[in-house]
Amino acid sequence: MVEETPWQQALRYANRANPYPFYEELRKTPVARQPDGTYVVSTYREIVTLLHDPRVSSDPRKRPAPAAAQAEGSEEQAAEPIREVLTEPNIITCDPPEHDRDRRMMMPHFVGPPHAPHLISDLEPDIRRIVDGLLDGMKGKNRIDAVDDFAYPLPVTVICKVLGVPMEDEPRFHHWVETALDALDFGPEAASEEIRSRRAGGRQAVQEFARFADALLDRYARQPGPGMLSAMANDNGPEGRMPKGVLASNALLLIFAGHETTVNLIAHSVLTLLRHPDALEKLRRRPELIVPAVEELLRFESSVQFWHTRSAVEDIDIAGTTIPAGAPIFLVYGSANRDPERFTDPDRLDLERRDNEHLGFSQGIHFCFGAPLARLEVQIAVGEFVRRVRNPRLVEDPPPYRHNQIFRGPRHVLVDIDGIRD
Amino acid sequence: MRIVVDLNRCQGYAQCVYLAHEVFRLNGQEALTYEPNPDDERRLRVERAAAACPVQAIMIDRLDGAEGSTTS
Repeated sequence: MVEETPWQQALRYANRANPYPFYEELRKTPVARQPDGTYVVSTYREIVTLLHDPRVSSDPRKRPAPAAAQAEGSEEQAAEPIREVLTEPNIITCDPPEHDRDRRMMMPHFVGPPHAPHLISDLEPDIRRIVDGLLDGMKGKNRIDAVDDFAYPLPVTVICKVLGVPMEDEPRFHHWVETALDALDFGPEAASEEIRSRRAGGRQAVQEFARFADALLDRYARQPGPGMLSAMANDNGPEGRMPKGVLASNALLLIFAGHETTVNLIAHSVLTLLRHPDALEKLRRRPELIVPAVEELLRFESSVQFWHTRSAVEDIDIAGTTIPAGAPIFLVYGSANRDPERFTDPDRLDLERRDNEHLGFSQGIHFCFGAPLARLEVQIAVGEFVRRVRNPRLVEDPPPYRHNQIFRGPRHVLVDIDGIRD
Repeated sequence: MRIVVDLNRCQGYAQCVYLAHEVFRLNGQEALTYEPNPDDERRLRVERAAAACPVQAIMIDRLDGAEGSTTS
């Protein structure tokens, strides 16, 4: 049996709770070619360089399907359910000039008009109300699940309001997203019987999710309603209206990315602080530290560990290697954020870390669209959790993790508590 | 309070604008302008904006250049 590369080991489910020792090994070769022809980039400097390199495309349609795609269980095969359903590009899977135009058209509907982009700040009272309600709901309990009872309900409620997705549809799209993610595996286990058996279900879930978004957009096109999706479906701005397929693809991205990543960040924040009692106590004493603390948590446990749709449009020489034209490129943000060449003592949690230019939201033109909303949600949620929950203790460490490697996060974080302060 | 933005570092991500649009403003696609002496009551928003800058170009109350800080 051929020995697995550090990257393949990092992707194994058994290492989901702690991929960092494998990332450390991986960084010894900053740009590492994998057996399937993918180039995995793990160091901060090289990742930032490639994030700003126009020879790197984010559009999977621009890369030839590698020979490995024929092989059962390869990454290509695993990613196929989403690729075959999402035939239209969204802003994370397209390049300039389409990318720039589409993102420019979407942005005002999210943040507000250019002269007064107030929509995110305006959400603060709503976010506080939701967080208050979730914490009030824990009164009288002595054990909570920081995922199901806290990290999940906040972002999903907020994104439904922002986008105009009816809350009563939440159980359906929650199920579709979970099913699709559980079927998406980029590592050696993609070939396993278990993952292969999930693939048909994953494909069907994405199809149903896409039909749901289509129907919602159709309804808003006939009868405008609240939220960003309706505004986009009826856009009469200077750049016109997005074609329906592109709009639907972006709607799926917004619903999915608009909560999934924030759930993981809140869950990881609670988990990380409970593992670091000194940091937790410091934050309790100095609540204003929540602002830099969330930046450190974004660095420490990044919600998007890597991204998989990029490829080289021409040969790229970097770090003593040539990435050949057409080769897939994975940029491992989770590793860059622990790179000792960039961050002093990177495995130490330092809520007051200076010069914290982390890649938790990436950089360059694909910098996280939802970052300002995510920051606000997590600052309020984690800040209030720390302030109000009495004597929280982890029940299980490490907690069980979700299957997918990109959107890495705990499935549950059970916490014993002594009560909730007012 | 007093703020300085290093406009050589600024790449127009506009994260500060979305968090404190009374203080930071983007003209056109990339040219940032800002109020260098915002009211103290805006401190929390300005601190959030500074922390959110992907290239850490916003400095708060850094008068002598000796001690860099975006948080205190």
